[in-house]
Amino acid sequence: MKRLVSSTLLLLASSSAFAVAPGGGGCGWGNALFEGQSGPAPHILAVTTNGTSGNNTFGMTTGTNGCNTSGALGYSGKSMLASVMDEFSEDAAKGEGEAMTAVSVAMGVSPEDRAHFAQLTHSNFSSIFPSQDVTADQVYASLQEMMKSDTQLAKYVI
Amino acid sequence: MHIIKISWLYAIIILSVSLQTQANENPAHNTELQALIDTSSQSELWKDTEWLNLLHYQGGPDVTNFLSQVDDPVFFNAKDGKTNPKNELKETLISLYATNTANHNEHAQCRNIARFNWLKQKYPNSFKQTPHIECKQYNEWRKEVPEEKVSLIFPAYHLNSPSSMFGHTLLRIDPAENEQGSTWLSTAVNFGANIQNSDNSIFFAVKGLAGGYSGTFIVAPYYEKIKEYNRQENRDIWEYPLNLTPAETKRIVLHLWELKNIKFDYYFFDENCSYRLLELLQVARPKLKLIQQFGLTAIPIDTVRSIEQADLMTDTIYRPSQTTSINYLLNKLNKSQQELVLKISKDAQLIHTDNFLQYNKQIQHIILDTAYRYLRYQQNDSGRSEPNAKNSYLLLDAINKTDNFSSPKITFTESQRPEKGHLSKRLAVTAGEYNDQSYMQLDFRMSFHSLEDNLEGFLEGAQINIGSLSLRATEDESQLQHLDLIDIFSLTPRNDFFQPLSWRVYTGLEQQLINGRDHLTAHVTGGAGVSYNAWPSSSIYGMFTARLESSSQYTQAIEPAIGISTGLLQHFSLGTAHLELSGEEFYHDEFRHRLKYIQNINLGRNHAIQLSALRQRQTGLYFTEAQISYHYFFH
Repeated sequence: MKRLVSSTLLLLASSSAFAVAPGGGGCGWGNALFEGQSGPAPHILAVTTNGTSGNNTFGMTTGTNGCNTSGALGYSGKSMLASVMDEFSEDAAKGEGEAMTAVSVAMGVSPEDRAHFAQLTHSNFSSIFPSQDVTADQVYASLQEMMKSDTQLAKYVI
Repeated sequence: MHIIKISWLYAIIILSVSLQTQANENPAHNTELQALIDTSSQSELWKDTEWLNLLHYQGGPDVTNFLSQVDDPVFFNAKDGKTNPKNELKETLISLYATNTANHNEHAQCRNIARFNWLKQKYPNSFKQTPHIECKQYNEWRKEVPEEKVSLIFPAYHLNSPSSMFGHTLLRIDPAENEQGSTWLSTAVNFGANIQNSDNSIFFAVKGLAGGYSGTFIVAPYYEKIKEYNRQENRDIWEYPLNLTPAETKRIVLHLWELKNIKFDYYFFDENCSYRLLELLQVARPKLKLIQQFGLTAIPIDTVRSIEQADLMTDTIYRPSQTTSINYLLNKLNKSQQELVLKISKDAQLIHTDNFLQYNKQIQHIILDTAYRYLRYQQNDSGRSEPNAKNSYLLLDAINKTDNFSSPKITFTESQRPEKGHLSKRLAVTAGEYNDQSYMQLDFRMSFHSLEDNLEGFLEGAQINIGSLSLRATEDESQLQHLDLIDIFSLTPRNDFFQPLSWRVYTGLEQQLINGRDHLTAHVTGGAGVSYNAWPSSSIYGMFTARLESSSQYTQAIEPAIGISTGLLQHFSLGTAHLELSGEEFYHDEFRHRLKYIQNINLGRNHAIQLSALRQRQTGLYFTEAQISYHYFFH
């Protein structure tokens, strides 16, 4: 039975067009906004296994794929931001959301200051995201600047 | 007399073997260790469920009948650890006392930290003389992995990827305080196959099914899974917080460290992601009896149901996919507003014209949100595009400058809950008439869902059946009517926003009228086309089909045919109706066509009555068939 089913599924898999995306590259700090999805796992590789390919890690690599592969690594605000920048930009525009929370947590902002962080990011959207070509590096620098000049958030600037 | 002799002989062999291992392993002269070995052996500790769970043993109850599901020698301390839980326990004790401490991270106290922890709880007064080991890598890892709460995660069905047709399950480990309700930084625990990028994709599906891959656990931040399932694959995610205590959760985390890079055999149908998660849950709470419910298949949603039945769930949280959200928002807009969304997604400057400004604030917000999401959806599978990025930015900027921006949030209805859908196996009893011949028929389906079955909890327009069998008996004879190995029918409606392909693939054996009587023929049939929502709860489709048929009656080994198939599917509150007209012409000039009508009547969750009528023409003759069936769904 298993063999028969296998060969049938093979037929199916090879007949339908699965997009094989190239693997994601680098840490993504230089990525511009709306970079799109170029990974992480090519679709075809997930056909019967639910597996992921390549750099399987066993830790909380908050960097994007290919960034860090050696076990446990601490959250850093910058790599978190690079990983979820698209989602973060949407939350910044709207003033709230889970990407916003995740970035503020990764930046070390305490629970009582997170609403303020979100509100400030929201009102500074245009300067943090001046265009669609802004990179994660630049967004991170702007956020640091914004926090530095805020009495409540200055203490979180590294 | 003989028995006594043999057992003496046995004892001597055991003694000499153990003396030998003791001689090899330095710490054996340790009196505390020796006492532990004796005590644990006398109390038959190796039979303890927790021990058997931690080593993933199955079988028993005799010591010779065990087999661990782990397929990696590194995981065991005894040479025969895979098959011998008793030896494995003894050798584990010896390894914990091993004085070779050159590499602390590789010492059994670190590698087997869950086993060590469990043994320490069993014998709180022992382990005073073990060498002091610093598990540095483990301690670093633990700083990142929370250990307070566990949720079961079910990314729902995704027909266009065979691995996801039945859904998928993973676990998520949360910290005590979910940062303001966000679980993005929680830890996802996923079991999947190990794949090398160099693997040829053609062989890939076969290997995955036939067990050619090994599987390992992967630990990753949960937001990566949200991006993968919700955005890239457009699958809704269902989250079920479980009532595991922090102590039980900690057992999973400890055990996960033991499973780091440890290989299991991977089989798509049974020893898959869902099966392994049940094992983890049993490690957390040893009295659970979850895996024994699954033999031939461990369909993800069935494992979700078994977890629900074990009273582990405390809540249900729904994360709609990007396409679900877009469709939900589109339904709040009228036709011309929807067209405007499409235009704005191509040219965001239109939001400064009267076309957009004529609408009230609420509609404007929905249009902005939908257009932005649609742009993001378009980029799910592609890299950066400048027009898309520019329009996305303009819309975000507009959203940011809108006072009190708010867009409706989607919530789920009870009828959507996947775990509440009908069960996976189906048994049917049918009475029918074929021309003037009456018959009885018995049907069994291993899994999973047909277009006409009760839709609650399933994806609309998604049929996936694996292994269905029909036996038909008339007064004179009985025969195998058909055996379908795979039957997938995917109807995804097209509209201005989404243009998916609808397709069908099925293969198996079925009776065909050839040369005046029925013959069992093998076939592979496929088709591709389009479908549309003609009106609410309906789907009209049309496809081109191709068929390969093989029968001993044919002169050629394989007879090819091409054809067309068109139909209408309509969901009513009492059930589903399906009308289909199809036909195909064979290379050897045979022409077949048929008109089929099926009416399903749901009788609650796991029962249904189905009426069907068929009129067909084959080898120049007309046939009529009518039948009534009772369907029973079970696990």
